Amino acid sequence: MTNSSFLTMNHIEKSFSGVPVLKDVSLHVAEGEIHALLGENGAGKSTLMNILGGIHRSEKGSIFMSGQEVKITDPRTAQQYGISFIHQELNVVSDLKVYENIFLGTELCNKFGFLEVEEMCKQTSAITAQLGVTINPKEYVRNLDASYKQLVEISRALLHNAKLIIMDEPTSALAEHEVEQYFILMKKLKASGVSIIYISHKLNEIKQICDRYTVLRDGEVVGTGLIQEDNLNTITKLMVGKPIIEDRYMHTHELGPVILEVENLTSDGLFTDVNFKVRKGEIHGFTGLAGDGRTELFESIFGYRKKYTGNIKVNQKKLKIDHPKKALNARIGFVPKDRKETAIIKDLSVLHNMSLASISHFEKYGFINNQLEEAQFETYKQQLNIKVHDPDITIDKLSGGNQQKVMIAKWLEVDTDILIFDNPTQGIDVGAKREIYQHIVALAKKGKGIIILSSEASEILKISHSIHVMAQGKIVAQLKAEKTSEAQIMRYATGSYGEGVTSDQS
Amino acid sequence: MTNHNFKDQRLTIKKPVFKARLSWLWSEYSVILAFIIIFILSSFISPRFFDIQNQFNILMQVSIIGIIALGMTVVMISGGIDLSVGSVLALTGIMTVITLNATGSIFIAIIVAFAVGTFLGLLNGLMIAKGKIASFIATLGMMAAARSIALYIANGGSISGEVPAFTTIANSKIWMIQYPILFFLLMTFLVYILMHKTRFGRYVYAIGSNEKAALLSAIRVDRVKIGVYSLAGFLVSVAAIIETSRLNSISSSSSGMSYELDAIAAVIIGGTRMTGGRGKVIGTFFGVLILGVINNMMNLMDVSSYLQGFVKGLIIIIAVLFQKRE
Repeated sequence: MTNSSFLTMNHIEKSFSGVPVLKDVSLHVAEGEIHALLGENGAGKSTLMNILGGIHRSEKGSIFMSGQEVKITDPRTAQQYGISFIHQELNVVSDLKVYENIFLGTELCNKFGFLEVEEMCKQTSAITAQLGVTINPKEYVRNLDASYKQLVEISRALLHNAKLIIMDEPTSALAEHEVEQYFILMKKLKASGVSIIYISHKLNEIKQICDRYTVLRDGEVVGTGLIQEDNLNTITKLMVGKPIIEDRYMHTHELGPVILEVENLTSDGLFTDVNFKVRKGEIHGFTGLAGDGRTELFESIFGYRKKYTGNIKVNQKKLKIDHPKKALNARIGFVPKDRKETAIIKDLSVLHNMSLASISHFEKYGFINNQLEEAQFETYKQQLNIKVHDPDITIDKLSGGNQQKVMIAKWLEVDTDILIFDNPTQGIDVGAKREIYQHIVALAKKGKGIIILSSEASEILKISHSIHVMAQGKIVAQLKAEKTSEAQIMRYATGSYGEGVTSDQS
Repeated sequence: MTNHNFKDQRLTIKKPVFKARLSWLWSEYSVILAFIIIFILSSFISPRFFDIQNQFNILMQVSIIGIIALGMTVVMISGGIDLSVGSVLALTGIMTVITLNATGSIFIAIIVAFAVGTFLGLLNGLMIAKGKIASFIATLGMMAAARSIALYIANGGSISGEVPAFTTIANSKIWMIQYPILFFLLMTFLVYILMHKTRFGRYVYAIGSNEKAALLSAIRVDRVKIGVYSLAGFLVSVAAIIETSRLNSISSSSSGMSYELDAIAAVIIGGTRMTGGRGKVIGTFFGVLILGVINNMMNLMDVSSYLQGFVKGLIIIIAVLFQKRE
């Protein structure tokens, strides 16, 4: 098989600051093949592809193309060898025309230095025709469907004589019907002899379009083969690895009455017909792949997003929540994800970040009393083990874990009955993660309704009572934590468990 | 600013903390240091500079811009800018004098001034918070519109007051201190308290630093922003009363001209960040004084008035260059 390989990567090794991320990885891609590269986040897929694209350099190993060894030192040489990258987010300039996008950086000019517009349009038409699509080269890209924007990117790759196109989750920005369109394009490419490395989490797509697969886990190749031979369950197992039985933090304690009830919540293009109930003392986990709509769902419940239909009931009372302040008055709290961008206020001190959502607790005669703030912070510092010697320093000087603890302190001080945590352990080391899990469980024990959003199924499994798996804005499965596994959650999230809503919780 | 709880901890790690404190002092109060240096230099260069009468002259000259700059500080900490202050001052002044002449009542004139200035600020705030128009554009529009209405009402000219007592507001003294100076100091104190001791101030800093995080902290971002621009408008109206009273007249075409630039310059020199989230009322106070001292020195040294803008521009650029190194 190696002989017929168009691309061969042999024994690639790479480490970042002493931590090995790729260990003896080999990859073979045949000519005109669509090869699926699979693995969980952090498995090393991107690093491997960045080595191929000339962004990183490997420490060991060799790369062969059509049987000849190549040295890819920078993105430019990668392009010369016919390697093109299509990224997850669309990399097109909306305010330029189709042909201008395709020729961006390689514009054709005549001897006076003026652009050869007609020639460029002609070549654009030729390339798109090759893909079986007619498109006006002078159309503005902003007027195109997302799948056609992808087409522009592919055309650009073809213009550079791409022999191998790396596609990193290209369908994540596409609607369902656009995906079909996109697959037709991929098949055309394949027929013309172009090889494709296809990175995706969506196993049903991979089944539809890919010929072979390679699975990476923790920087190692754990499996490779033909898609038809193996069923998708084997692949899922390979990705997740051995069932890791870790200490579950979940506790069985008395659950109180229903505190939050969500009925038929729908927001166009974000989530559809979401229903669930949270009881006092209960921990609900929401998980799924990127773009499943869970963050948007809870941003809506918290009033950050206003455009939605359906009912939100808190303590059996129907509420219209269209501002976070109203959510707070309804005793709902929200610890956002992307801590740096959406949670911490980096110019404010640790102390002021803690008190921001509950300043009224620290006011006397309309003025903020620093002593009250400091005393209260001292309590949280002990309780949550926040490591900071001076709470007057700005919060951006703390480590991620400590910042997150301050955010938790902020919402503990507000003292809401319902608390939503979005990716609470993002970018946090293992020790701090464990502490945060323990605090969340402790809050549930005190009778608060807890909701945790996370892309890591293992995390959700550890602390939730109920697990809701989301895909494309819908809850596709509601599972009991003790009756499910990471692999099962993954199957629902990737859509390889058949269609429709499945539920084991009536 | 005392931390009793951490005193003993500090003793054990005294050295690095001392060093950190020093660099903190520099980053927080470099504008005060710069002021002291300029002040000492000026005393050496010109003997007349140190004269107490001259000192009060400087304060008097900067008091109007100073009061406007206080409002500008709040606006800029919130992440915005207000280009309309000069025009709003002119329109407010015109309305004040017209009311004064029509009613003969200083009290009513002052109330009208407050109402007009605050209302125009409120309009700015509504456009920015509810209409989601960039502050630069919304206030640019207000700048053109307010000036135009002022010109229309006054038919392009000036209006003089007909109630002599009105001039006492800006032209009286307690001991050697003229009233405008007192107003400036009082406003500085009030805005300082507002920004550092109340939730409004805390929210303004939060919004300027990270608007999304502020909203997700259940802050009524829209209302705070409207408040910010209304406050700026109110402070402009205070400045307008002083300006009108000082000369007993207001010009629809030249009053308040390019005040926005002087105010922004003072705020920038005072260390407030253009993009918001950071800045100090005290910094602006000293920024205003630095501009005043430099103007005064150039007058004392007979530097051509045409060159004063050049020096001012230089100072702004140097100030920002220094602040870049954090």
